Amino acid sequence: MIRYLIRRVLWAIVLFVVVTLVTYVIFFLVPNDLAAKVAGQGSSQEARARAIHHLGLDRPVYVQYGKFMWALVKPVPVHVGSVPVFVRPQGNLGYSYIRATPVNELIKSAAPVTGSLVFGGVIVWLLIALPIGILSALRPRSVMDRASMTFVLVGISAHPIWIGLIFAYVFGFRLGWFPISNYCNFFNHAGGCGGPVQWAYHLILPWITYAILFAALYARMIRANVMEAMTEDYVRTARAKGAPEQRVLRSHVLRNALLPVVTMLGMDIGVGLGGAVFTETIYNLPGLGKLILRAIGETDLPIVMGVVVFATFAIIVFNLIIDLLYAWIDPRIRLS
Amino acid sequence: MAEDLLVVDDVKKHFPVTRGIIFQKQVGAVKAVDGVSFSVKSGETLGIVGESGCGKSTLARCIMRLFDITDGTIVFDGRDITKLSRTNMRPIRREMMMIFQDPYASLNPRKRVGQIVGEALEVNKVGTASETKRRVQELLEVVGLNPEHYNRFPHEFSGGQRQRIGVARALAINPKLIVCDEPVSALDVSVQAQILNLLEDLQQDFGLTYIFIAHDLNVVRHISDRVLVMYLGKVVELAPKLELYEQPKHPYTGALLSAVPIADPERGRARQPIVLEGDVPSPLNPPSACNFHPRCPRFQAGHCDVVDPPLYPFGDGHIAACHYPLERWPLAADEFRKPAAGHPPAEPTPVS
Amino acid sequence: MALLEVNDLKTYFQTDDGIVKAVDGVSFSVEKGKTLGIVGESGSGKSVTCLTIMGLNDRKNTITSGEALFNGENLLTAGSRRLREIRGNDMAMIFQDPMTSLNPVHSIGTQLIEAVQLHRDVSKKAARARAVELLKAVGIPRAERRADDYPHQFSGGMRQRVMIAMALVNDPDLLIADEPTTALDVTTQAQIMLLLTNLQEEFGSAIIVITHDLGVVAESADDVLVMYAAEVAEQAPVEKLFRRPFHPYTWGLLGSLPRLDTDLERLVQIPGQPPSLLRPPNGCRFHPRCPYVMDKCKQIDPPLVPISDDPAHLQACHLDETTKDREAAKLLETTMAQAI
Repeated sequence: MIRYLIRRVLWAIVLFVVVTLVTYVIFFLVPNDLAAKVAGQGSSQEARARAIHHLGLDRPVYVQYGKFMWALVKPVPVHVGSVPVFVRPQGNLGYSYIRATPVNELIKSAAPVTGSLVFGGVIVWLLIALPIGILSALRPRSVMDRASMTFVLVGISAHPIWIGLIFAYVFGFRLGWFPISNYCNFFNHAGGCGGPVQWAYHLILPWITYAILFAALYARMIRANVMEAMTEDYVRTARAKGAPEQRVLRSHVLRNALLPVVTMLGMDIGVGLGGAVFTETIYNLPGLGKLILRAIGETDLPIVMGVVVFATFAIIVFNLIIDLLYAWIDPRIRLS
Repeated sequence: MAEDLLVVDDVKKHFPVTRGIIFQKQVGAVKAVDGVSFSVKSGETLGIVGESGCGKSTLARCIMRLFDITDGTIVFDGRDITKLSRTNMRPIRREMMMIFQDPYASLNPRKRVGQIVGEALEVNKVGTASETKRRVQELLEVVGLNPEHYNRFPHEFSGGQRQRIGVARALAINPKLIVCDEPVSALDVSVQAQILNLLEDLQQDFGLTYIFIAHDLNVVRHISDRVLVMYLGKVVELAPKLELYEQPKHPYTGALLSAVPIADPERGRARQPIVLEGDVPSPLNPPSACNFHPRCPRFQAGHCDVVDPPLYPFGDGHIAACHYPLERWPLAADEFRKPAAGHPPAEPTPVS
Repeated sequence: MALLEVNDLKTYFQTDDGIVKAVDGVSFSVEKGKTLGIVGESGSGKSVTCLTIMGLNDRKNTITSGEALFNGENLLTAGSRRLREIRGNDMAMIFQDPMTSLNPVHSIGTQLIEAVQLHRDVSKKAARARAVELLKAVGIPRAERRADDYPHQFSGGMRQRVMIAMALVNDPDLLIADEPTTALDVTTQAQIMLLLTNLQEEFGSAIIVITHDLGVVAESADDVLVMYAAEVAEQAPVEKLFRRPFHPYTWGLLGSLPRLDTDLERLVQIPGQPPSLLRPPNGCRFHPRCPYVMDKCKQIDPPLVPISDDPAHLQACHLDETTKDREAAKLLETTMAQAI
């Protein structure tokens, strides 16, 4: 198990380097007029050259990449009192080309928004998918099952942007039940609204919009898994022991049927982060998606890199957690 | 005396076990087949028995050159095929075919029976399309299928019929040797008898040579001329059929024979099974010397676990790898436990 | 009174292709402490018979009729609650494949404890003690410690022992063993059969052993039921069945068997395939494959009746008894040449 973890972490580092490198290279391959943007439209040739030099953009790409990585991973001591106890990577993502704000600050303010959207969305999609998947597996071909599978089909075929716009129009604009834009902080009241209730209230439509596609995919997967688990020999054994149906389902069917769902969650969280970009755009949420979209538009490399680094890191950490969770619930993995 | 069609000499197949965080390092090997030697004469049937994991299926695949072997040589029809390349193997493959255990899994479900059986003919470019078709229909008839079923798919046939298709496929280009890997173990008794009879008839009609791998000792006795017993990748005993079944020398062979239920209430209940303790050890870390010693009822400390027994000859081509071979058969249960007092370790005696 | 008495049991499955008559009028009884062997090829209805008795068929799309009296109580009309009380308690079952019959995510201790606590109102500790006791009884070494291990940490033979322990944990009156050794190696098979025989002596349970292996039946059963195409072809005490088989299908089975101790010139082969249970043949279901077929066989399904001089020996065949005695003797002469 420990060995497995070490291997996973080492691979994660390799992955991390590859992802950042690719992003860097792509950025420099795409033609742009960064100097004009940094120094301002109509600035002199000399001002532009100075700006370029100031940002280090006149250095070779590998030097720039090296400097970027060094700022990120440079070890800095952590003090307890005045004694340095251990070192941590510095984690400096640099400064925005255009606005000169620290990227760390930008991400720090955007990440909770995206985090709220994604994790709330995951919970919503599981809350939809689990009951639908399990109930329709228990009564295949029933009215309930057919209705669920219709939902699945619609959920999979309809594009999230379309769903988002329809929801915003119907529930937000026409019915006025939910707000259709803005984000409220969970903890403090900065910027007009705040607190858990307002936070959730503002996120309800984004959550549902974000969750529908995955809820549909997961409902279908859970249905298939449960149906398969129901035919397993050990389920027959449980019945032969005299276990009531409810117990058979809970202790023998679901435990096994939901194992793959955990793995899928780990894989989909990356895809899900991509999906968050659409939802943030529709509902005007100041999350990472919006941040990176704007940065790409302005060719603001440090922000793009910052978001990529942060997202990659988040996905890797999340996957590790899922792996551990999986090992914890599946003895075949834990004990091998 | 018939010629040796196949000579297998000290063949080993070790599957490496690797470990490592980024760079995989070999830390051990599963010795699936570990120094097996035997020969098969033209026209005979050699039965290979052993329990699951003894390496019999791996051995079959080594002979077919589906795996590259780790060590040893395989001589087929006077030609060393151990190191032949794919291209050079091709003409040899026409002469040795394989029949598999699972008639469901070994036939491509998307192909028609005609294509499945005719595939080997086409690959080896034997004849025109119409000749191929005629040959296939002939083959279907030979194995007892309706030649008009040429265009059907495998799923339209029952288990026994599918195994017949497998046999027809193996026969397509007049092979000399057919390696049958558990060909009847997935079949019901009545259908099993059909396939066994078919294999026997074909052997007579076409002078085929069989290597017949099975775990069912009844079936192996019925079909084989000589029988080889494997345990943990090694040969423990090899003898003409009657010798092996009536006068087994190795305690493992004895245990196997005594464990088979007999379809006769009187004799079945009188049978005294020699029940082996425990399970077959892992081939990753086999026991020292004689690898049967931890389970052997005749185990002698200081000898069996120190000196690996060679295959001692017992006359008439009967060999067994045991320092304390069974003196007679059947043995009473208590007799089986230890060698008779004063009995010296068997010395290799020259074959007359 | 017999422990289990099954009368005219029928189990039909409704499928998209029509009704599959998986069991079609089967009757037999099992006495306390005795072993009944049910032999037949795949699809003969031997497993479905037992699953029906246990109430383990999918209720939907299944039509059941007849009766299965267990200690005088009809299991086919019992409510699902009552059936659950009986299952695993008075009547237990072990299955063919020990590799897939245990839940991979629970330790075997947990699975045995569950079996105890489903039927006994005892503490977890007491249940565990009982579980370990049974694991010891079936020969699991270091049972106390191994109870915490998971199924994948056991070999096939050991898993089948665990299954047996789990089945016997509540001291059932009847144990149904569905192909208990088919998936195991010969030497392991010998261990398991020996174990079952010993445990039967110790616990006094009746056993129904379902198998396709005539050797297993010959050695372990007191009575034998030969099933063919969802019906009983022949039923007799074990010596009678092997010494004086009276049904052409039984002859076919015995003759098609390669023997460990006899060299047979050629195996008797039953031509053709078992029939489809969607559209079984008219008359005697065996008639398309029977070498003794008469016109009568094609029209009238022979009833299962006792033979004239032995009320315990039942068979369903139109052939006259003189011919049968002659054919049976001929068969024995070839298959047991060396033994007699």
